[in-house]
Amino acid sequence: MSASDNHSGASPGGPDRPAGEDPLVTPRARQGRAPDVFRPGAWLPMREYPEDEPVDFAIIGTGAGGSTLACRLAEHGFGVVALEAGPFWRPLEDFASDELEQSKLYWLDERITDGEDPIEMGRNNSGRSVGGSMVHFAMVSLRFRPEWFSARSSLGYGVDWPIPWQEMWRYYAEVEEALKIAGPVRYPWGPPRGRYPYRAHEVNAAGLVLARGCEALGIPWAPVPLATVSAPRGQSPPCVYRGFCIIGCSTNAKQSPLVTWIPRAIRAGAEIRDLAMAGRVELGPRGRVSGVHYHREGRWRFQRARNVVVAGYAVETPRLLLNSACPAFPDGLANRSGLVGKNLMVHSGHGVFGRVEEEVRWYKGPPSLALTEHWNYTDTGKDFDGGYVPMSQGPLPVEWANVLTARGIWGEDLRQRMTDYIHGAGAKIVGEVMPQERNRVTLDAEQDRFGLPVARVTFSYCDNDRRLIRHALRFQRQLLEGAGVTGLFDVEDTAHLMGTCRMGTDPVRSVTDADGRCWDIPNLWVCDGSLFPTSGAVNPSLTIQALACRAADRIRTLARRGEL
Amino acid sequence: MRMLEARRGGRTGHLLDLALPLAGAVLAAPRPPPRTGREARRTDRVARHLHGGAAILALAVLADSGLEHYRAMFFNRAMYVPLAASSLTLAASLHGLLDERPLPHAARDAVYGLAAATGLVGNGFHLWNIGKRPGGFSWLNLFYGAPVGAPMALLLAGAVGLAAERVREDAAARRPRILGQPAGRLLAGLAATGLAGTSAEAALFHFRGAYHDPFMFVPVALPPVAAALLARAAAEPGRRRPRRLARWWLRLTALLGFAGVGFHAFGIHRNMGGWRNWSQNILNGPPLPAPPSFTGLALAGLAALRLLEEEGRDG
Repeated sequence: MSASDNHSGASPGGPDRPAGEDPLVTPRARQGRAPDVFRPGAWLPMREYPEDEPVDFAIIGTGAGGSTLACRLAEHGFGVVALEAGPFWRPLEDFASDELEQSKLYWLDERITDGEDPIEMGRNNSGRSVGGSMVHFAMVSLRFRPEWFSARSSLGYGVDWPIPWQEMWRYYAEVEEALKIAGPVRYPWGPPRGRYPYRAHEVNAAGLVLARGCEALGIPWAPVPLATVSAPRGQSPPCVYRGFCIIGCSTNAKQSPLVTWIPRAIRAGAEIRDLAMAGRVELGPRGRVSGVHYHREGRWRFQRARNVVVAGYAVETPRLLLNSACPAFPDGLANRSGLVGKNLMVHSGHGVFGRVEEEVRWYKGPPSLALTEHWNYTDTGKDFDGGYVPMSQGPLPVEWANVLTARGIWGEDLRQRMTDYIHGAGAKIVGEVMPQERNRVTLDAEQDRFGLPVARVTFSYCDNDRRLIRHALRFQRQLLEGAGVTGLFDVEDTAHLMGTCRMGTDPVRSVTDADGRCWDIPNLWVCDGSLFPTSGAVNPSLTIQALACRAADRIRTLARRGEL
Repeated sequence: MRMLEARRGGRTGHLLDLALPLAGAVLAAPRPPPRTGREARRTDRVARHLHGGAAILALAVLADSGLEHYRAMFFNRAMYVPLAASSLTLAASLHGLLDERPLPHAARDAVYGLAAATGLVGNGFHLWNIGKRPGGFSWLNLFYGAPVGAPMALLLAGAVGLAAERVREDAAARRPRILGQPAGRLLAGLAATGLAGTSAEAALFHFRGAYHDPFMFVPVALPPVAAALLARAAAEPGRRRPRRLARWWLRLTALLGFAGVGFHAFGIHRNMGGWRNWSQNILNGPPLPAPPSFTGLALAGLAALRLLEEEGRDG
């Protein structure tokens, strides 16, 4: 299916637009303007940078890492060009309440997956839009437990992060404020945190099932801190609980980068280039990179830059660095450690589902509205390292049908089960997965439509991961039984990607320093989930954005000292 | 003649008296009160002020509980009760407003008593609803469960109405008393408590809205000051200055009740689809009928000040 075929399915509210206006074919951010996502058909003036003069920062990717960094660097006064492979959506006009149509938000280019537990690539771990996968993320915005930043020295597994937790928690607060996270007044776990900027959302019936289960087991639960506003914010209306969050919010209540960091970045003087696919980072003289080769509007171009930031997430970032191999770096740019692409981590997303008598209508509202971090903050009673957090679930109908067919339920049986959809209830975890060097991203001989080698993604769980998953499934069964859910069955899944350009304190054991600056090339940076030394057991977006805010502040400091 | 009318009304005209006032309020031109004696006239005006306050409170409760209970699809049949009670209270208050007779009215009295009881029981219901949810009396359930203080507005409407009747009862007397207390002091206490409570409710729900608009602090900051000044005026009935101060703050609070409707209308506009999507956003946005409760209570407070003035003069 070509890109334009993909889009022709169901343009909301009218006939298909002419090819010249198809955001999957023709870039929208050009000629000094970019879409104003809050007003149909409106534009924001946007600064443009020439390609043949080096811009301060060329950022590749506009997801949680790239957009945040672009915004903060531009606000610090740097010149910024951010390249995005995907289109620049106007949610009010482009997003349909249709799961299949909205698969246009995922990165569905070919990847080869292998290993003992090959990862399903796409909806749960990628995005291809200005705003990245956060355009369709579930909005769960959790902080790492403090001890996870020193996992090796405090808890005895994985590796330590190069940044103390107090510093990360300060940046969490900054990101929570920027996204007006709606969270509980009192959070039951961890050290005291400041008040969430907005109040928690009402918990839907699916969330109350999990809450009931927790109360039956005598453990705390909490409404999930979410990046969708519970009261008006600027031009964002409060969430109306449509429930289509993970296929893109069409009201702009969701505080994705597309409606937060990106407009801020443009106002601060950054340029966003949509439909711009980076192919290779060029190494210039004196061991520094000189710019990025990228494909836009039918041809390859070159953007000169004083600094290049790779923010393509844990598959595309190592893919780009490996594909940028040159005589000075035959194994891939900035890869003297040999760790580029290694230590790939996912989160296990194993869940338990069943049926309750009452109508739950779990599609209403954000998909996960209640959680328990009990096993993130409790270290006894575990036969594994790490943690996991069960969350209530609200799968959309097609997704739910896929869950059922995967169990071999077809035909009349499937029909019957689908009529029971409104009685469904369940829980799924975000479960910590250990870093292993054998889990990695490499380049395959196969090429994509740009002539670039596709990524091969190899993944296998280790014994600890499997113990964690067993524990989590058993616990979630208890939880749901306690809430009166019957007909329980297990579901396997994964979410998120992390760890293929690990940061650290030692150039031999890591790819970058704590600022995301590559040890091998001082003007090449990484700013996304690839940096994670360990995965933690919470959704990564808040931590990626916190790292980006911190990196921007560090870069300003370094620039003032003349150390860029 | 007047006594005769009153007696007749008291015995036979209840239903008619209650059914007509809405139409009467529109049709009947206000007649000058053919009363004699300055005190009696003043007390009569006070009673009508109180009926007006009760009417506004009842209207706010009718609209608010109507909207909110409709939104909750009248899940429990008891959710119709406040609609009935507040409608009757509104009718009784309009009747009282137009009634020139200086005497209390048994049916109105009964309606006000019913309203007060409904408010009290309703609050019990709301507390029960909050408590039975997972998490019990948590912030979340205070935000999204049945609103904890809302039925109290009906209790206040009933109480203000009952006070109006007691004031009428003692209209002939120089100093009306309620429950053996000087009416002014008691009413001032009632209005001050009501204002403080309503303010607390605004504080809770504006906190839920994260005070995203600075004007959301106004109903949290302003009415408690009025309540405090009113209480002070009641404590020192012999002094003029506290009364004057309280009067201005109460007038401001009365205006705030109307301004609040405007602000809430703006809040509705900020929801998805704005006023074009009114049928959903009126239910979903800030409650339009909530702020006028402040007006109703402020009117009761102003009436209390008038009584206090007389009590002060006598004292």
